[in-house]
Amino acid sequence: MSIRARIFAVIGAVVAAAFLQTMFVLYLEGERSRMRDAQSNAFLRYDSQARLVRLVGELEGAQRAALLTGDTAVRVEYEQLWTLYERAVTLLPQYIDEPEVRNHLAAMDALIRDWHVNASLVLMPAAGPSAEMVRRIDELSTPRMRRIHGSLGRFETQERNRINDQRISANTRGLQTTLQTLAIPALAVVMLLALVAFIARIVLDPLEAFAQSARQISDGNFDVSLPPASRDEIGAMVRAFRDMTTAVQRRQRDLSDALSREREVSQLLDTQRAKAEREHQRLLATIGTVPVAILIVDAATRRTVVQNRTAEALLGREPEDEEARADYWNSFSVTLRDGTPVAKGLWGWMRVLSGDVVVGEELIVTHPDGRVIPILMSGAPLRDDAGAIIGGVVAFQDITNLYEVDRLKSEFVSIVSHELRTPLTSIKGALQLLLAEVPLADPDHATLMNVALSNTDRLVRIINDILDISKIEAGKLGLNAKPHAVAEVLSLSVQNVQHLAQSSGLTISTVIEPGVPPVFVDLDRSIQVMVNLISNALKFAPAKSEVTLAARREGDLFVALSVTDRGRGIPSDKVGLLFQKFQQLDGASTRKVRGTGLGLAIVKALVEMQGGRAWVESEVGVGSTFTVTVPVAR
Amino acid sequence: MKVLLAEDEPDVQLIARLSLKRAGFTVVTANNGREAIDKVGEAHPDVILLDWMMPEMDGFDTCRHLKADPATQAIPIIFLTAKVQETEVSKALALGAVGCIGKPFDAMTLGQQVLAILGR
Repeated sequence: MSIRARIFAVIGAVVAAAFLQTMFVLYLEGERSRMRDAQSNAFLRYDSQARLVRLVGELEGAQRAALLTGDTAVRVEYEQLWTLYERAVTLLPQYIDEPEVRNHLAAMDALIRDWHVNASLVLMPAAGPSAEMVRRIDELSTPRMRRIHGSLGRFETQERNRINDQRISANTRGLQTTLQTLAIPALAVVMLLALVAFIARIVLDPLEAFAQSARQISDGNFDVSLPPASRDEIGAMVRAFRDMTTAVQRRQRDLSDALSREREVSQLLDTQRAKAEREHQRLLATIGTVPVAILIVDAATRRTVVQNRTAEALLGREPEDEEARADYWNSFSVTLRDGTPVAKGLWGWMRVLSGDVVVGEELIVTHPDGRVIPILMSGAPLRDDAGAIIGGVVAFQDITNLYEVDRLKSEFVSIVSHELRTPLTSIKGALQLLLAEVPLADPDHATLMNVALSNTDRLVRIINDILDISKIEAGKLGLNAKPHAVAEVLSLSVQNVQHLAQSSGLTISTVIEPGVPPVFVDLDRSIQVMVNLISNALKFAPAKSEVTLAARREGDLFVALSVTDRGRGIPSDKVGLLFQKFQQLDGASTRKVRGTGLGLAIVKALVEMQGGRAWVESEVGVGSTFTVTVPVAR
Repeated sequence: MKVLLAEDEPDVQLIARLSLKRAGFTVVTANNGREAIDKVGEAHPDVILLDWMMPEMDGFDTCRHLKADPATQAIPIIFLTAKVQETEVSKALALGAVGCIGKPFDAMTLGQQVLAILGR
């Protein structure tokens, strides 16, 4: 039951009690009023009754006087007394409630009236006193009067007793009333106290207990046991508070869980960050120590964000100012190894930022300060997860030393070859002159002389090829390209090897596609290329077979020159090796004429120097076609 | 036909001399440029073969000297050189030489090559 209901109930009870008390007070007041009325009645009754008794006496006296005197005045007095009596006896019953008293009074009245009519009035007209009169009085009036007096006496006694009884009763009731009157405030006080106690019990005590719990909870002690929840407003409040406490506790727990998770995550992040930082430092240290110039460039700012010491030493430090920076990078002049210029903005990080991946590209960089630095450039763009280019890494390896070594090697080879060639020339010339001048009787001697001569030739060829290769590799082979007719190139080449073909019993045919334009080549070197290819074909061609030279257009820019033999072909797994230095296909049948192992490498190098390509198509058992392309003259 | 051969390498000089002799030339030899200049007045050669690289005086200086001297400037000069490259050849021609024969030369055809250059 709710406190409100209970308080209303209690107040209702108090109001009811107060109402009852008021009713009681009113009742007491009525009682008291009735008591006063009764007392007043009793007084009037007593007074009327006493007057009645006195009137009866006076009537008796007046009758006697009238009878004895015969005086009319006395008789009138008597008549007046009678009137008074009649009034009194009429008034008296209104003060009398008790029926027996009324009956008694009525009986008494009847006696008196009987006396009045039969013993008094009948005697009155007889005038004067007489013995007759006396006898008649004694006869008629006295017995009656005796009875009347008896009745009166009993009446009086009755009334006296009644008045006494009434007095005792009134006293008792007065005490009671006083006591009852005193009880009313006492009861009110008791009720108030009860009300206060009640409110204290159902409201204040739980509130106090509750407040204490709340204080403890606010101190952070959630384990406080809350007062049991009664089924009233405080109970509801306690329940609500308990729910709130639970919710707060849960939230606090959630919060502290979240905080601790947050802390864990943050610790993890810190660890990761520290790790990443260590890795970063390690990487930077690594980048810093490698003898390769490394630049990392940001795509958005086009600014170098990482530059190692080697890069600084090699390229210098780029200016801070944006325009100066662009000028700085454009002030490098860059060429490929063969001298082909590389467009500004198409090398280094600028090229990498365009998305190119570069691996080991050889460039000759002329630094703004005048240094000419051969470098190997490698680089790759850096992309974000979406694949967008956010930067680039470029690495430049200063290969000046390699170039120097290469140069020394070439120089060495060149000198050695030259030094070898001079005595070989003498040997060859001596042998030739000897063989031509001196007749040899024994044919074996001539054979021996020829062996010496042919091996000298081979040695000269090897040395020549080595010289060519070393010149090409050193970039020292100058080309003198001019327009030449294809037929000129091919016929000069064939002339060079005609004697070889004839001695081997082979024929060389030439097929030139109509309309093949002139080519732009170094004639001697082109002849060297074709001679190399034709002598190769002659070496592998079967006896009496034909070697075919062909020329046709290859696109708008090139003419393809090919040499086809009907030899045994080249296994496909060996094709890739063909154009490498000192690669010879071994085997007894291939040893008819021994080459230098450099021929095709020289062919490839010379063709590529002129912008063309060299390749071979071969089928085992059918033959091989070696093709080179040379640029069309414009 | 008389040829003055200036070549410092004795073996090469011998081969060249025998080769030219076999082709019908009369050969006067000199071991360097200086010697060649000394001998040219006496020998009156029809053609001079000059090695490019020689001690004392190299082919280049010798050629210039010979071409500067009115007495010798009409004698055709052919260089014997290992440097048969365009630049060298054009340099030689610029000095007034009539041609170059690459070294190592072919001992069997040296005489023909000289005659071919001289246009005979």
